Amino acid sequence: MLIDKERTGAYVLESRYPLPLASAMPDVWDLWRRAKTLEWDPQTDIPWEELHPERYPAEQLLAAQMYWSRRTWGEYGAISESPALLLRFCLERQLPDLQFFFTMRTMEEGRHAEASWLMAERLGRYFPQPQNPPTAGAVGTHGVRRMAFDPETSLEGIFASLVCAAEEILIDVFKATVHKATNPAVRRLMELILRDEVRHIAFGWQCLDAWAPSFTQETVRNIEAAVTTMIENVEFRGYRNLWLAIEGGSATPAEIDADRISCEAGLGGNTPEDEMRVFPEFLRKIRKRMAPWGVNLPMFDHPRLGKV
Amino acid sequence: MSDDPEHAARLLRAYQAQEKRFVERRFPLEFAPEVPVLRELYSQGKGLHWNPETDIAWDRLDPSRYDKPTREAASRTWSRRAWSVYPGLTESTALLIRFCLESGSLGMDAKLFLSFRPAEEAKHLEVCHMLAERFGGYATDPGEPGLARGSNHAFGQAALDGDLPVEAYVAALGALDDQLDLNLYLSHLQQAKDEIVRAALRLIACDRARHVAFAWAFLGSRLPSLDARGRAAVAAAVSDMLANVILAGYRNTWLLPEKSREPWLSAEAETARAGLGASSAAQERSVLRATIAQVRERLAAWKLDLPRAQHAELGAV
Repeated sequence: MLIDKERTGAYVLESRYPLPLASAMPDVWDLWRRAKTLEWDPQTDIPWEELHPERYPAEQLLAAQMYWSRRTWGEYGAISESPALLLRFCLERQLPDLQFFFTMRTMEEGRHAEASWLMAERLGRYFPQPQNPPTAGAVGTHGVRRMAFDPETSLEGIFASLVCAAEEILIDVFKATVHKATNPAVRRLMELILRDEVRHIAFGWQCLDAWAPSFTQETVRNIEAAVTTMIENVEFRGYRNLWLAIEGGSATPAEIDADRISCEAGLGGNTPEDEMRVFPEFLRKIRKRMAPWGVNLPMFDHPRLGKV
Repeated sequence: MSDDPEHAARLLRAYQAQEKRFVERRFPLEFAPEVPVLRELYSQGKGLHWNPETDIAWDRLDPSRYDKPTREAASRTWSRRAWSVYPGLTESTALLIRFCLESGSLGMDAKLFLSFRPAEEAKHLEVCHMLAERFGGYATDPGEPGLARGSNHAFGQAALDGDLPVEAYVAALGALDDQLDLNLYLSHLQQAKDEIVRAALRLIACDRARHVAFAWAFLGSRLPSLDARGRAAVAAAVSDMLANVILAGYRNTWLLPEKSREPWLSAEAETARAGLGASSAAQERSVLRATIAQVRERLAAWKLDLPRAQHAELGAV
């Protein structure tokens, strides 16, 4: 039952030894060390007693419930999908620093999902799915699990697209809007998520910077393709923010407007004006940051952002 | 990076093929507790987090109190323990992905619990590594094919095998193997005399106790409604784990083929004698028998029979 497939070769055995465990990337090891000192609990480390949902009108509460539900779905992707990267690190026998750090990342993303769900619940209601199922395609997956298990997809490309693009823009928007969260419970939650995500992003950049001297032309093309795909097929399909979806899909007007209304109520989220300001700046930043590796990201056409 | 990229690619393709057999239905994505005891174990995991670097008083560990052969023995024992902890990183991660692939609407308690487990395994790994280093040096390789083979199984792939019910996987790996592992840690703790080693063992055992409780609680939530085929798979997986993995020396050096036991077995005996975190072979034998009896009795509560396994030295267990 367990061993038969191993004996017949249906399962492929890892070659596990030698098994080095000492740090070889001090900067990444430091992120693992810091993560261990900064653990928190969504149930106890957020001032829930200061949430006071009864102080908000129904329209704002509904928008905030939608916003935090949607965040929950996004964070869930980091439980369901990106842990496959840890498997890849182990199977490819990547340095122990990567393996150790990524265990904490999985834990932290689980915490973010739980915290976002709790926020929606305590604001009155968590929505377990989009209002119209077709939007599930946009919000459901960023495809990282499939990429992680695909030996033809370079690790560098996955890092650049998942960490340096998808997570970076998420955090840029968080950073740019956290001050608008006037509700103390919401603000604290955003700060705690931000604190973890800053480490996640640092991890991606540090790895890519360390590997950059060995990048081949093919690696560079892989990174360009992966980041472009993440922008065009994930961000511009509304994975993070439905307002950005080029083809509106079947998201309802209420869903599309939820981020703005929630943000204006001080309950988290961001406005189209925030996106107009932060998204182009984010692209400028990662273009500049990746340029020394030889990476040239194309300009992107977006009906509302323009040419960015 | 792998020194054999082709082999790494084969491994990834094997996982890729398994993953593709599932059709993930993410929505509706339910987060509310469905098995409160599993959610409680997750909560405990959050509340009882610890840091190997700061929650163990390493500055009070004084290896110079022990003679060189004892230190070497302890470094071997803790190196071997690190090798046995390491697979938990992949296995618990693969199991987390399996739960996610199976359903968005079911199993959130288990998913949240499992999102924590790889980090806990990594902390245990770090402790084993630190202890091995402090006693003289962590060994990266057993250098003995029998031990290397006996400690290397494809359980990560088994976790993603759609032919193997998740209940069967948890019963074999969690209820039997994790239980034995926990009981061995508790035995080592009872024998340990060095206060720092005792602190390390107690912290690890605390986490492992939660992992074992997860397995039993999960089985308790699923087994009563499992069909006959699923129940047969559970019994077969536990039986297979016992006969072909545990009794082949996966956890216990004295069960390895005789030519593969040294120098690890002598090292464990010396580590146990010095109170540095091991049990004697005789003590481990008692733990193994007690664990099998315990698991058999508990499975019987669900009318699942764990047949006796034959072993050349132990007889029928």
